[in-house]
Amino acid sequence: MITALLTGAVLWSLLVQTLPPILLGAVTAAGAAVAFFFRRHHSHGPVAIDSLARRSLLCEENAFWKTGVSVLLLILSTASPTPLPPLLLFGFLSAVTVLAGKIPLKKYFSLLWLPAAFLLLSTLTLLWDFYRVLPENEVLSLPFFGGWLSVTKASQSLGRLVLARALGAVSCLYFLSLSTPLPELFWVLRRVHVPEVVLDLCMLIYRYLFILLATAHDMRDSAASRLGYATLLKSFRTTGLVYGRLLANSFRRAGHCFDAMESRCYTGKIAFLTQRKPLTGKVICLLSIPLAGMTFGMFLT
Amino acid sequence: MTSSEKKILSLSVMVSLAICVPQTAHGMHIMEGYLPPAFCVFWGALCLPFLVAGVIALRKLTQNQRRSLLLLAMTGAFVFVISSLKIPSVTGSCSHMTGTGLGALLFGVPVTSVLGIIVLVFQTLLLAHGGLTTLGANTFSMAVAGPLVTVGLYQIGKKLRFPKLLNVFLAAALGDLLTYCVTSLQLAIAYPSAEGGIGASFLEFLTVFAPTQLPLALIEGILTMVVMVGLQSYAKPELSLLNTQRRGLFL
Repeated sequence: MITALLTGAVLWSLLVQTLPPILLGAVTAAGAAVAFFFRRHHSHGPVAIDSLARRSLLCEENAFWKTGVSVLLLILSTASPTPLPPLLLFGFLSAVTVLAGKIPLKKYFSLLWLPAAFLLLSTLTLLWDFYRVLPENEVLSLPFFGGWLSVTKASQSLGRLVLARALGAVSCLYFLSLSTPLPELFWVLRRVHVPEVVLDLCMLIYRYLFILLATAHDMRDSAASRLGYATLLKSFRTTGLVYGRLLANSFRRAGHCFDAMESRCYTGKIAFLTQRKPLTGKVICLLSIPLAGMTFGMFLT
Repeated sequence: MTSSEKKILSLSVMVSLAICVPQTAHGMHIMEGYLPPAFCVFWGALCLPFLVAGVIALRKLTQNQRRSLLLLAMTGAFVFVISSLKIPSVTGSCSHMTGTGLGALLFGVPVTSVLGIIVLVFQTLLLAHGGLTTLGANTFSMAVAGPLVTVGLYQIGKKLRFPKLLNVFLAAALGDLLTYCVTSLQLAIAYPSAEGGIGASFLEFLTVFAPTQLPLALIEGILTMVVMVGLQSYAKPELSLLNTQRRGLFL
């Protein structure tokens, strides 16, 4: 409900006096309705995105190309001087992720909703400023403790630009993370010479994360079945104890794992098998279009 | 309006803000694409010395004692897991810990900053929280500035002979609080307000995010304290392993 109100407020202050009143009302109401519809925060957990990435049809494509182009598009999107190119990029890459990758649309939308709280709050802060005297070019003002809280034409256009850039960048990020499983990304990082120690650490963390997550869930369930979360004070104590136990457990597990690795001739180097994935015409075409578009967009004013 | 009326009004504003916060409160990360490119590069460059020092420390650590690589990996996975789990909170919203204070107390600042950047990459790609372009800024606030303050405060508290647990609580809570202040400052520098400049905009960002972040800092402090108590009773041998390497502080 609050997110819906916030969305409405942000849309209203972004677009007021640039659209005719009826259209403005319609856009605001539509935004608030969408926010209300997706108001429930689905707890995704790290497993959700990982499994979506592995199931995506784009998973079979060359990881180096996907990562390289995504990073380039990210940079172009955050550097774009006008709001239109990143918005188009957002539409295009979302379509690629959903249609070519066959990610369920509903899942994609609920993922998009994750950064909403940050985006709405900080855009609101960008839009509304405190002024002692009513500024020129103001489009919306409220009296506030002997001064004015106002939205100006300049802050409106800044807000629109920042919002568009963020949306474009988020679509690049989701394209990458919903089509490329993490181990393949580490392989790309290895090819660009990120220190070996760091990548070994990443790989080990990735493998242990799911085990620890499962253990944590089991611990929490058993604590809950013993009324460990009955009151606020108790739940602090239980959470702390569960975390402490989890960390102690994982230290112990690390010890066992090291023994197992050493008995299999571990000499300080961990090698993982990576499947070679050739570069196909399909993904070259799909990604060249936004790349060309965004490069052209850099010269627009 | 009389002064008492003004006070009541501002109190009611604060109460309504505290209750009407959006439902999720993560440790505050700047989202993907929210900072202009120049600032992304700037904050990334600021982190670089810490990361290089961290990688050097890691190399030394794993060469001298290979067992500690796995210990570190487990800690990294642990930090990620607790940052993705919900913790109890007062307003019924779901919040998450950052966990880097804990890492800093166990392993020291340089190693924690490397662990921190890895955890941030994982959070970005697996939880869609944070961003690749804002990685530098987020690393600076969460994995460099926060741990630095935590470790500094812990040392000062130790000198002043504070009780150990109170010291852990204060160090972790204030470290977390500083992380949020630094993030607000980063946003303010990137987007200063038209009239008051960076100062005014800093204040605005602080107020807007305070309702979610202030309780979070307190909870972080309490939980770090309880985890430490748990570790002391369950994981003595591992803690003493860390002690022989003279990395950890909390021993």
